[in-house]
Amino acid sequence: MPNVAVETVKLTIDGQSLTVPKGTLVIEAARQVGVMVPHFCYHPKLKPDANCRMCLVEIEKIPKLQTACSTPVAEGMVVRTATTVVNEAHKSVLEFILANHPLDCPVCDQGGRCDLQDFSHEYTPTTSRFIEVKRVFQKEYFSPLIEKQMNRCVQCLRCVRYCDEVMDVKALAPVNRGTMTEIKHFGTHELDCEFCGGCIQICPVGAITSRLSMYEFRPWMLKRADTVCTYCGDGCQITLQTKDNQLIEVNSSLGAGRNNGDLCARGYFGYHATTHPDRLTTPLVRRDGRLVPATWDEALEYVAETFAQLKLKHGAQVFAGVITARCTNEDLYLFQKFMRLAVGTNKLDSSARYGQVNAVRALCRIQGTHRWPVTFEDIAAAEALLLVGTNITEANPITGLRVKEAVKKHGATLLTVESLQPTVGTISNIANLAAHHFTAHPDQYKPVVLGLIKAVIEEGLADQPLSQKAPAYLQAIRDAVHALSWPTIEAATGSSAASFKEAARAFARTARAVIIVGAGVLREPGASGLAATLQDLLLLTGHHGRPGCGLAPLAEQNNDQGAVEMGTVTECLPGPCDLDDQEARARVSALWQEDLPQGPGLTIPEILEEARGKTLKALYLVGEDPVGSLPESARAKEALEGVEFLVCQELFLTETAQMAHVVLPACSYAEKDGTFTNTEGHVQQVRHAIEPVGESRPDWEIFSDLAGLMGYPLEYGDAKDLLKEIRALVPGYNLPGPTPKPSRPDHTAVDRYLQQGYAEDLGERYRYTPPVKAAGRLTLLVDQSLFHSGKFSTKAKGLLHLQAEGAVSLNPADAARLGIVEGDRVLLSNELGHCRTTAKVWDRIPAGLCRFPEHFDQEARRLLSVSIDVATGVPYYRSAQVKVEKAQ
Amino acid sequence: MLKEKYTTEIADILSRYPVKRSALLPLLYLAQREQGYVSEAAMQEIAGILKLTPPQVYETVTFYTMLNLKPLGKFHLQVCKSLMCALVGSDILIGWLEKKLGIKAGETTHDGLFTISKVECLGACGTGPMMQVNDDYYERLTEEKVDRILADLKRDGTSALKTGPFMWPEPAPAKRGA
Amino acid sequence: MTKFTAWIKTIIFYEILVGMKATLSHLLHYKPITLQYPHEKRTLPDSYRGMLALLRYDDGTEKCVGCDLCEAACPSRVIKVFSAEVPGEPTKRYAKEYYMDMTRCLFCGLCVDACPVDALGMTREFEWAVYDKRQLRLNKEQLLAIGDRSYPVREKRLEFQHPNVAFFNVAFKGLPEKES
Repeated sequence: MPNVAVETVKLTIDGQSLTVPKGTLVIEAARQVGVMVPHFCYHPKLKPDANCRMCLVEIEKIPKLQTACSTPVAEGMVVRTATTVVNEAHKSVLEFILANHPLDCPVCDQGGRCDLQDFSHEYTPTTSRFIEVKRVFQKEYFSPLIEKQMNRCVQCLRCVRYCDEVMDVKALAPVNRGTMTEIKHFGTHELDCEFCGGCIQICPVGAITSRLSMYEFRPWMLKRADTVCTYCGDGCQITLQTKDNQLIEVNSSLGAGRNNGDLCARGYFGYHATTHPDRLTTPLVRRDGRLVPATWDEALEYVAETFAQLKLKHGAQVFAGVITARCTNEDLYLFQKFMRLAVGTNKLDSSARYGQVNAVRALCRIQGTHRWPVTFEDIAAAEALLLVGTNITEANPITGLRVKEAVKKHGATLLTVESLQPTVGTISNIANLAAHHFTAHPDQYKPVVLGLIKAVIEEGLADQPLSQKAPAYLQAIRDAVHALSWPTIEAATGSSAASFKEAARAFARTARAVIIVGAGVLREPGASGLAATLQDLLLLTGHHGRPGCGLAPLAEQNNDQGAVEMGTVTECLPGPCDLDDQEARARVSALWQEDLPQGPGLTIPEILEEARGKTLKALYLVGEDPVGSLPESARAKEALEGVEFLVCQELFLTETAQMAHVVLPACSYAEKDGTFTNTEGHVQQVRHAIEPVGESRPDWEIFSDLAGLMGYPLEYGDAKDLLKEIRALVPGYNLPGPTPKPSRPDHTAVDRYLQQGYAEDLGERYRYTPPVKAAGRLTLLVDQSLFHSGKFSTKAKGLLHLQAEGAVSLNPADAARLGIVEGDRVLLSNELGHCRTTAKVWDRIPAGLCRFPEHFDQEARRLLSVSIDVATGVPYYRSAQVKVEKAQ
Repeated sequence: MLKEKYTTEIADILSRYPVKRSALLPLLYLAQREQGYVSEAAMQEIAGILKLTPPQVYETVTFYTMLNLKPLGKFHLQVCKSLMCALVGSDILIGWLEKKLGIKAGETTHDGLFTISKVECLGACGTGPMMQVNDDYYERLTEEKVDRILADLKRDGTSALKTGPFMWPEPAPAKRGA
Repeated sequence: MTKFTAWIKTIIFYEILVGMKATLSHLLHYKPITLQYPHEKRTLPDSYRGMLALLRYDDGTEKCVGCDLCEAACPSRVIKVFSAEVPGEPTKRYAKEYYMDMTRCLFCGLCVDACPVDALGMTREFEWAVYDKRQLRLNKEQLLAIGDRSYPVREKRLEFQHPNVAFFNVAFKGLPEKES
């Protein structure tokens, strides 16, 4: 970006002179010199509203007092914030507010951190001149999670403006007028919105508070720990607040972390999962067919002994391990080190396999790095954004906020290719903001992307330098898209050629463009190919490699990116480097002072396959639950039954853990220290907020102890020790700053791709064969919903209030055709099985599609089949063709 | 549904404004003309037409006293409560009406004839206290005058004491509401 | 002369007599001031700060709203409050559990000052010797019982005292209760 010289203005505030950029508000300038102007309605994230009149200041040469929150600075301005006149103004504004505000601070959860309380102490006399009876609002039940006490409202409308300007949800409205203005939602039912908790966080008084922690605390009792949320790849910084080792509340402070104070329902209300009463508290060992509690010494010695025996008997290649990408980098790193050194096998994998591996492969292949070439800031500053299969407001809500910011604040052009329809509602829908929207089923993403590429080529939007640099590549693509006719694409996507051309023009003619891909692409067949094709689009439009432009694949789990970088996926060593990259092997073994094991690695599907074939004797599962998360057609249960010795390290007794020979209780993120790497590759500190539940221990400690017992000591003092070792191997882990440095594409890799790399699968990637669909069937998509993340969040009571069970969402037209109304019991069936569930009619679901939340898919999973990606070994099991009918 | 019934009228209203949201008030008037009040379903439909969320429509409806959220009586007595009328006794007027009709402001009589509401300034500050009955103004009210107006309205549906409608839209047909 | 006086004073132990003057005079007018406690009891001053107690309103409901301000004010961490919603009365707050560890109490009265609803009172009880000091960890019921016997005259509920506090800590019927 060209560096424009910022115009500055000089002014004086309370005798201190300062220089600030033009356009700064007086209140912000005052804050810079440490002068706090009292305010209610001002908030740095919101547009000035100046409705509370609390921030009045005296400005020389302006006869009347001015609101500091809406007055921009001017050259030579002299501002005074602490004169008698100003103090009188503060006093009278507060007197008016307190004329109606009830004095129920002792029972108000905001008491102790309330702006009104603080200002009252500072400015008002202790008595009021008002003798009238205070205003009383009819009490309304708002929601099981949000408590509304309108009598306390100071009508600053921060909540309403936040809901509109930042979240783009618009679920709250100021109803009625004047003193009787009250914050309400629409309709006679409970509030139905995204439950981001923003209104609770932004309310300066106790009018909107959390009902989840109501009356459980007073602010001064809380201990705070800044850590990172684990419910998606966004890596939001959250502040866990605890009282007597109990999690009470989650907050997020403005200006901190990558989320800048914004959270989603999962982050704000999902914290109870870690302290669920079902948490494992002691190690369990199977004796006489039953899992019985044991001491750590017994359990670990048993595991170490059995591992040693099996290794002696069968060699190291009968072991395998899988770890969840929800663990910290330190856990992941030590796990792979443990498996490679103490056990001696490369057969290890992590849950990054389920999608992130596709993304990383496409990035590595075409830009030579494994991280995003952009940051969240680049998304907000982009001129054009293309979202493909992200369902971003539900899967990665905070990245979604950056997209909303780009569109709403900076006027970016948004193109969406989503299995969504634009609709009106109080749960945000990114398709509503799109300038060009393509409604696509999961199998239609590819033809839409091909259509866009064809439009780019045919409209002559292809980058000129590219045609000189790589004429053969360009010609190959030209030929490939030429072979696709517009009627084929139109038939496959249901969108017209003109709409593709228009969208392509809007996208190509911008200086900064970012493509975001999500699980819709990365977890559907053909993912690695489609991600590469999207890189082609960037190359063609000349955006590839430009600062602030690039492909941004969204990680689903909090540490998917870290799992890859720690070398905890099959094909990688820490770095990440290829498993058979000799140079990297030498480097790693030099640091470890130990030879790396030879032999191939195994991906999760291959591990299950070997287990079924009884060649696998011992399996170490850390936080992974294949029986409970993979569809029945993956036959995980059968596979695990064939394993001679199964060790599970878990938070809860999952379906897999019930089959285990030893279950080791591990700590959740709230109880351990370490780091997470978020989807954009930013490394952030995780800090413990509470003591470990029961006898549970951090995962890395368990690996370390086990390794010691097996005779390969891997000893570390604490998580920081481990991070030091990680720093020596993995770039990008040195003292993480406030913002990540995006990776710059490696030109040799780009050139390699442009010269010959593209050829290996270009034909395959640009060929489109329409899928065969049986008539009368709907496409079932089992995916993430806004209110849950994996199975872990279904233990959080706050989130269960929002969504307690699965329901299949149908398009209204489909539902009407099938004679189904909201709340009906329906039967979903196909060749693999059937399941009964409840129907929900939702107008954002496109015709021909139905969605089911994966968090409650115990039964719906039966309908899914598994297919495995040839290139990346990723198992795909998100969609199926099903027959939907009303249950009898 | 409004959309089917008033297709051309809605299209006409929408064509008048460069920003879609501006059409909110005319559409709400349309909905009110249809049912006598703005129902929840109508608000939802208007939200759909204008690509707003229902709460945004709801907040507008509650802001203006001319838009009603409940079915009204046949005669809507809208008494000005703003400063000028208050100085010349609108409180007494409201009290008198409440006593005469046996209802509180904001309520409707059992026979469904009268609804009293307190509204903001109606622009007849020189001739207060005043009230607007449906679209007609009645100014310089006294207790006797109010009695006569109520009797006339009950009997004839209109009263000779009115000083004329000044408001857009044009006087609606006398039948209104239930 | 002075030598003679000094000699006389020495042989009659004059200094001792001076020192014993008060004692000897009391010996003549004998009037004991020791109280025969526990048979006799002293009259306590009006501002005596004795055992702490929790009070009730005249309708028998607890005054305490569980605001934790006493806990915050206490310099020696005597008080521990666990507040919650009153069962069956949604949105009303009370102290579900209330403990005072009287072994640590200084009887400074800061908690009484801090209480916004005058739910705490200092009684004139002081005879709290026990054999087991664990008995001095008083719970809510015990503290209320002390209040009942020491404050027989009870105040009216707040809403009947000032119309403007009508909406202080009220229950709203018809609302679902908060689940714990």
